[in-house]
Amino acid sequence: MTIAPKAPRKLSMKDRYSALTRDLAWDPSYVTNEEMFPFTNFEGITIHDWSKWEDPFRLTVDAYTKYQAEKDKRLYAVLDGFAQSQGHLGLTDASYLNAMKLFIQGVSPLEYQAHRNFAYLARHLNGPGPRFAALCQSLDEIRHIQTEVHTLSNYNKLYTGFHSYVWQHDRVWYLSVPKSFFDDAVSAGPFEFLIAIGFSFEYLLTNLLFVPFMSGASFNGDLPTMTFGFSAQSDESRHMTLGLEAIKFLLEQDEKNVPLVQHWIDKWFWRGYRLLALVAQMLDYMLPRKVMSWKEAFDLYFEQQMLGGLFVDLAYYGITPPKFVEQAKEEKEYLSHQVYWTLYQFSHAASFTTSIPTDEHMEWLSANYPKFDELYKPLWEKEKRNVAAGGRHFDRGLPELCSVCQIPMLFTEPGDPTTICQRHSDFEGERFNFCSDGCKNIFDHEPEKYVQAWLPVHQIFQGNCGGASIPDVLAWYRMNPEDGGEYLGSTDHQNWLAWHDMAEKTGGN
Amino acid sequence: MPVKAISEYKFPSKSRQELYGDDQLVHVWWKDNPWFCAAACFRAPRAMPWSDFWSALVVPFFEEDPDWSPDQQFAFSIDGTPVEPKATDTFADIGLVHKGVLAMVRA
Ligand SMILES: [Fe+2]
Ligand SMILES: [Fe+2]
Ligand SMILES: [Zn+2]
Repeated sequence: MTIAPKAPRKLSMKDRYSALTRDLAWDPSYVTNEEMFPFTNFEGITIHDWSKWEDPFRLTVDAYTKYQAEKDKRLYAVLDGFAQSQGHLGLTDASYLNAMKLFIQGVSPLEYQAHRNFAYLARHLNGPGPRFAALCQSLDEIRHIQTEVHTLSNYNKLYTGFHSYVWQHDRVWYLSVPKSFFDDAVSAGPFEFLIAIGFSFEYLLTNLLFVPFMSGASFNGDLPTMTFGFSAQSDESRHMTLGLEAIKFLLEQDEKNVPLVQHWIDKWFWRGYRLLALVAQMLDYMLPRKVMSWKEAFDLYFEQQMLGGLFVDLAYYGITPPKFVEQAKEEKEYLSHQVYWTLYQFSHAASFTTSIPTDEHMEWLSANYPKFDELYKPLWEKEKRNVAAGGRHFDRGLPELCSVCQIPMLFTEPGDPTTICQRHSDFEGERFNFCSDGCKNIFDHEPEKYVQAWLPVHQIFQGNCGGASIPDVLAWYRMNPEDGGEYLGSTDHQNWLAWHDMAEKTGGN
Repeated sequence: MPVKAISEYKFPSKSRQELYGDDQLVHVWWKDNPWFCAAACFRAPRAMPWSDFWSALVVPFFEEDPDWSPDQQFAFSIDGTPVEPKATDTFADIGLVHKGVLAMVRA
């Protein structure tokens, strides 16, 4: 005879959360705390009391998985419907997908890197609250790359440039910019990573990265990407909260942490901002239907929300706005134009296409940027004449790269948008070049870190990228001739016209 | 300031000159021409005379500009100091180190 077990006592969500975190934590008896958590000392951060970490959100595993499964179900229903109804034909133009090619090649692999390093934090942070928060974020991030890949693989069946993003992320010149950014963060200690990614990337700059891509999707008929964006958004608000809690915790634990945290803010603002150069050109040039200009986005999401809000609060701890922020403010007038002009002349070696802005687009640029007519329009007018004469501006060689951000050295001097900014440092008898005072400052603090940078141009010249000629390198990049170059007349463009022609004739959409 | 790390943190440069054998990297920056978005980077033999470098590497790169004129004269400088390369000069003679930047403006 068995006695029926008593019905389990129902715990409240709060109790279950504390059972999951605090109750599963213990003080070690046969090893020291330092042996159990060996990586939270070497950076010089002082933590007196891990229990002071306020858990900004209290999720349990069952609540988490239930919620995420619902979101996934919605997303996959949208993906199926979009594929079945030939939804891609409702995009504004095939050239819109250049933004998404850049996204999957440049951004999605960073989600995976984030997944890995948050999993590391989920093991190695001393406090149970932050460990569990890191675990949730680690799960979010692997879900992000997975759903992004599924969302965009629909386009891979029909369009060029999507096919080899993982391979390319680790090798291609413009993708070394996001890759090296994240490599820098994951090779730092856990606290620097929290400030680099948890705070700077997920809080300070996240709206400048994700809102443009996701609004760009919604303005250009890309329902799958928009749905993915919504599905990630609720995760992002948790990530932002974690980033903010992390910085407040470090600042409140000990005054000695303040200068370290300040340096990391300075460094990671600048590294993140340089990475956003790719977003700036995407907003102003790659979207057929514009959302807002980079200048407006920077003004709203960074100057108003961060400088005008967050940094006012952080001043209480003695934190000041990031070094070189004035340079970023000044650059908002020029950045996107300089970057797109660069991508335009190197797109024969890229997995996306570029084109001269149309007249209407050019008017929008003039209306939004007072310096456009003086500084950039003449270049496009010259290129129009060049194209009319049978040419196309593709550089016949390789550019000088910044040894920190790895971007071709296209940025200009503070106060002079017509002269390229050149900086350099000598370290152990070798010269290193930088695009800006911000990048030089980062190098000068930790030269040992950046001397190992795998700079694509230097590696090509060392013969490590498939060969000495551009076709050799492109083959090694796994780029097909139709993946890059000029958009007009490209495979995507021709297919787009043919599909729409067909749809019109058969009365389809 | 050294990198803070869990053990010794010392790695050789991935761009050091010895990785290029008898060659070196040289940047040429056409300062007053926005047609080119950035300075160009070339790999060239260290013993290469200036006139060969100019005609074999620099001109083929920059003549892609539709306004290029073979008669154009240039004034050169390195990190702000004017230099006047002679036909037989090597990079060392001009003072151009590995990864150095030679600036030029229309004379
Ligand atoms: Fe993410
Ligand atoms: Fe995130
Ligand atoms: Zn840089």
